[in-house]
Amino acid sequence: MNALKAAFVLFVACLLQLSVLTEYHAFRTASIVLVVLLSIALLRGSMFGAIAGFTVGLVLDTGTLGTLGVTSLLLTVAGFWIGRYGETTARDRFHAPFLSVAVVTCLYVFGQLILQFVLGQPAPADSAVHSLPGALLLNLLLTLPVYALARRLFPPLELGDRVREVRLLG
Amino acid sequence: MRSVPRNRTVRIAVLGSSVQRAAPFGFPSSRSSAIKRRIVVGLLVLLSLVLITVSFRSSALNGVQGDGATALRPFEVAANRVARPFRDTVGWFHGLIRAKNEDTKLRAEIAVYQQQQIHDEGAVQQNVQLQEALNYHGPPSVADFRKVYAAVLANPQNAIQETVTIHAGSGDGVQVGDVVVEPTGSPDGTGALIGTVDYVTHSVSRVMLLTDDDSAVTATDLTNSSVIGSVRPGGGNGNSLILDRVPLKPAVQDGDTIITAGSLGDGPLKSMYPRGIPIGTVTSHSNSDADLFQNILVQPLVDLSSIQSVIVLTPSKSLGR
Repeated sequence: MNALKAAFVLFVACLLQLSVLTEYHAFRTASIVLVVLLSIALLRGSMFGAIAGFTVGLVLDTGTLGTLGVTSLLLTVAGFWIGRYGETTARDRFHAPFLSVAVVTCLYVFGQLILQFVLGQPAPADSAVHSLPGALLLNLLLTLPVYALARRLFPPLELGDRVREVRLLG
Repeated sequence: MRSVPRNRTVRIAVLGSSVQRAAPFGFPSSRSSAIKRRIVVGLLVLLSLVLITVSFRSSALNGVQGDGATALRPFEVAANRVARPFRDTVGWFHGLIRAKNEDTKLRAEIAVYQQQQIHDEGAVQQNVQLQEALNYHGPPSVADFRKVYAAVLANPQNAIQETVTIHAGSGDGVQVGDVVVEPTGSPDGTGALIGTVDYVTHSVSRVMLLTDDDSAVTATDLTNSSVIGSVRPGGGNGNSLILDRVPLKPAVQDGDTIITAGSLGDGPLKSMYPRGIPIGTVTSHSNSDADLFQNILVQPLVDLSSIQSVIVLTPSKSLGR
């Protein structure tokens, strides 16, 4: 059920990203797909995040007729890493989604730049650096509503559900 | 055995309780789960790398990607239609504010243009007569091309990407290298140049914008045809261009309109730029004796990051297709 819900939410995010957000110059640098993916990864863990990242990356690459696999690779790593963060140190911390989005937005931009450069495609570093503050701000603004919605759709697992083994002392 | 409060905390549960936890689900943490997790992620990364390699080195996945893009198209169109009322509302307010600001300026410009139009009409008639008399064959014009109207499915997704996906493909006669213009970009209806087609599937194509690093268009100044150079991306601000390779001698003025010079491309990606398609206006220019060429900045006539629809100019049979 979680997988179906995640697939639906990410697909809607993809459509918003492809068809709506990028039509406005001000929102061009925002990535609602990244924010949704990171929110879900934080709440559902690393494996869920990695699979969701791979799938949504494939849809984005298909929709933009880009080089297949580039976005998948970046989003797989992003989903896995933030999922792992959610499983370990980020539990119940208010700043976790904001910190995740801020760090991954920066790494995503530079990761994309590096991959484009390695593939011999145009990789204008100045454009990437200029767009970074805007992307950071917009993604952080999107994080609050998106993470709130994601928490409603994917309620955090109880602490008791997370702990597999309890070591008894004394 | 000690009694354990019903509302015990985790600390008590861990340090002071002998109660066994319920069967777990959710976040896995055991060794086998960790190995499974690493295998899955490793496979996904490997699969991504394979996809990149295959996609980059061959065209084996082009068909699949084209079919995928075609399957996504109805959803993208539906999302566009749902968002249209919001977009129209924003556009209405934006247009209203802009219209009030520009009203006075435009009234003054109209008076100037009316005078210029009278002068231009005479020059055009004279030009036609002279061309007929000399049996002159110029470079291809927009009239020599078939127009394919297409909606934009996806605008550039970030500051690095300088491509748009359009709803027309080889099934509509579109081929790699075809010139793409934005219909509302110029007042005379010829459209403003935005780029060329660089990837085609049956029903969807990708357009490389003028701001892409690989883009270059031979261009000239509308008011001074001796100014011939190459329009390239300007860097920095993603929506600016430069007119490169213009010698120091011909004079360029701020506000001049830059148009395509009309050329027949060479190589495997043969492309034809008809003469006279507006590209942008000169916003600044400078030259120094130390430079071989002038530094000319050009502002495109359309916002290349937000395009609604395009016209693809496909060469007619008389031009070699």
